[in-house]
Amino acid sequence: MADLEIRDLHVRIEEREILKGVNLEINRGEIHALMGPNGSGKSTLANTLLGHPTYEITEGSIIFKGEDITEAEPHERAKAGLFLAFQYPVSIPGVSVANFLRMAINAKSEEPIGVKDFRTQLQHAIELLDVDKAFTSRHLNDGFSGGEKKRAEILQMAMLAPDVAILDETDSGLDIDALRTVAEGVQKLHDEQGLGALIITHYQRILHYVKPEFVHIMMDGRIVLEGGVELVERLEREGYDEIRQEFGVGV
Amino acid sequence: MSEVAVKPGRHREATLYHALAGAGEGEKRTLAQLREKALAHYYTSELPVWRRSGFWVTSLETLDLDALMDQADETEPGAGAPGAPAAGEIPEVVTRTLPERARAGRIVQSAGVVVHVDLEPALKEKGVILCSLEDAFRDHLDLVEPWYSKRLTIDRHKLEAANAAFWTGGAFLHVPDGVIVEDPFEIVYAIEGPGVAQYARTLVVGGKASEFRVTEYDLAEDFEGQALHAGAFELYLKDGARCRLSQLQDWGQGDVFDVSTRFVGVGRDAYCHWLPALLGGHLVRQHLELAVSEPGGDMAFRGLFFTEEHEHLDVFAVDLHETGPSGGDVHWRGAASGQSRASFEGLIQIDPGAQQTHTYLQIHSMMLSPKARIDAIPSVLVSADDVSASHGGTVGELDEAAIFYMQTRGLDRPAAVRVIVEGFFEPLIAELADEPLEELVRAKVAAKLAAARDDIEAYATSR
Repeated sequence: MADLEIRDLHVRIEEREILKGVNLEINRGEIHALMGPNGSGKSTLANTLLGHPTYEITEGSIIFKGEDITEAEPHERAKAGLFLAFQYPVSIPGVSVANFLRMAINAKSEEPIGVKDFRTQLQHAIELLDVDKAFTSRHLNDGFSGGEKKRAEILQMAMLAPDVAILDETDSGLDIDALRTVAEGVQKLHDEQGLGALIITHYQRILHYVKPEFVHIMMDGRIVLEGGVELVERLEREGYDEIRQEFGVGV
Repeated sequence: MSEVAVKPGRHREATLYHALAGAGEGEKRTLAQLREKALAHYYTSELPVWRRSGFWVTSLETLDLDALMDQADETEPGAGAPGAPAAGEIPEVVTRTLPERARAGRIVQSAGVVVHVDLEPALKEKGVILCSLEDAFRDHLDLVEPWYSKRLTIDRHKLEAANAAFWTGGAFLHVPDGVIVEDPFEIVYAIEGPGVAQYARTLVVGGKASEFRVTEYDLAEDFEGQALHAGAFELYLKDGARCRLSQLQDWGQGDVFDVSTRFVGVGRDAYCHWLPALLGGHLVRQHLELAVSEPGGDMAFRGLFFTEEHEHLDVFAVDLHETGPSGGDVHWRGAASGQSRASFEGLIQIDPGAQQTHTYLQIHSMMLSPKARIDAIPSVLVSADDVSASHGGTVGELDEAAIFYMQTRGLDRPAAVRVIVEGFFEPLIAELADEPLEELVRAKVAAKLAAARDDIEAYATSR
């Protein structure tokens, strides 16, 4: 059994069905890319996996490390080892990055983390992700640039050390330097901690810096094509339209 | 956030305030004369009602003042009336609440009696005085007379008159010229049981170039029944004095009515940072004025409030500039849960001749329940032309996106809500610049959130 199993997942918002039977398996240590045009249901899948209350699961299940988490609260999923890097991280005024990280780490563990351990871990993550130390004393995402917000997401991911992380269009809106930092951060966490990742992206460019072993193409609420990294190259050559025609998927 | 210049008289309450601001009540009158005058007003006036544009009313009609006064009349002050303390005994609510920390001095009044005074001996040697106001009138008349009721009125409403006529105990703090004190002076008013009418009277005078902190605590036990705190507070800063004035008010679960008037006067090149934390009371009306009275004065007027259940809070705060150049900066934040109601009216008033005044007023509020309400009303009354005065603010609810974000990091919903609300208050709490007091305010906020947990949950699912 895979660490994360998504079985025949149907999801709707209000009366509209967005996911129409998604099947996906992700293990620790695997990097997956989920690609697809806008509106194909990628972000819906990301939010549903973490239990966003707006999305209603009508069929199917989510199994994580052998437990059915289909109905679990978002924080329970996080504690179990899932992580979502947001496309648009919200700002949390009044709370510094460091304090928030400490709270999140303590929420996941029985004992509060010691001051020294925390400092060591934070220092390691800062070096790994090449972020400025002053960054951690600023209020989380408050007044951050787009690139800073995404770096803060990856910093949290590094500190919380999830088994499987979902990165929801983390690459969108980033300049090439920020993109490289983010992508290399994911790659390092994969290499060092055995992170499993589902990189959701509309574009191909992040996949130049982080190498997925598995590529899934989503259209109209279903995964229509799966393969290795060669799929990325095909997409680059042909675009989504060719695939759409091949599978007869409506817009 | 626009620059606003409003002609005098356009704003009703501002005009009302202007007409009533009667400086110099105390001048050249003895205490006995003032008490007598106030008593006459007390007998001829009704309990006050504050209305604003028809949709906000703060009324004391449920206050049974006669019952409170009867109980007070039955015995000598402090001699066995319900809730009355024995001298020398610090009320439990005070020892339980106040942080253990270094202090310059402390005065504690329970009901109508000062039960405790202490003052750091080294400060006493430097001429610092901390005593009951009653004792100050006996022992330091020369220091008290020029300032007592200098800028407070005694006849605006019945409870103001009652305070001026009936006050007992009270607090007097005198910091001589040039004396710098790091640790806070603590002034404590406690109500230990129902049936108490506490007429609290505080006078603080900061000498030239003095620097000090004052923290007032207003505390009550949780009890059933009514009590009244009618307070009058005045603080004057002479040339170049600097003061950080904080207040922590939590009247507990009893039906405590608090109707208080507070005036802070900032002298030449003096500075005051004033931060009341209003954290509970059945019905609270606070009339607050922070005035720059002489050129070069500067102020930071902060405040936070958190109402819950059926509490009713009415704050009228005036950022008053009587002369220029002067600076002002008003920043308040409030949250409301349950079915509580809070009104914050902030007035910038720049008098004729107060040229080169620069001030800004911002009010931020957060609703934590569908039945709670906060009205934030900024207004500007400018009578000088070379000034800048503007205001801004936000009204918010809990941000569900932020809650989900934190949940995905492992925080449960109550923890996420707590982070948001604490984050909302944090900019002001941090400005207390006093770690033990900051921790106390944070703990009070956290306790209120815990109490409102079901309420907040219901609110979230209803949206």
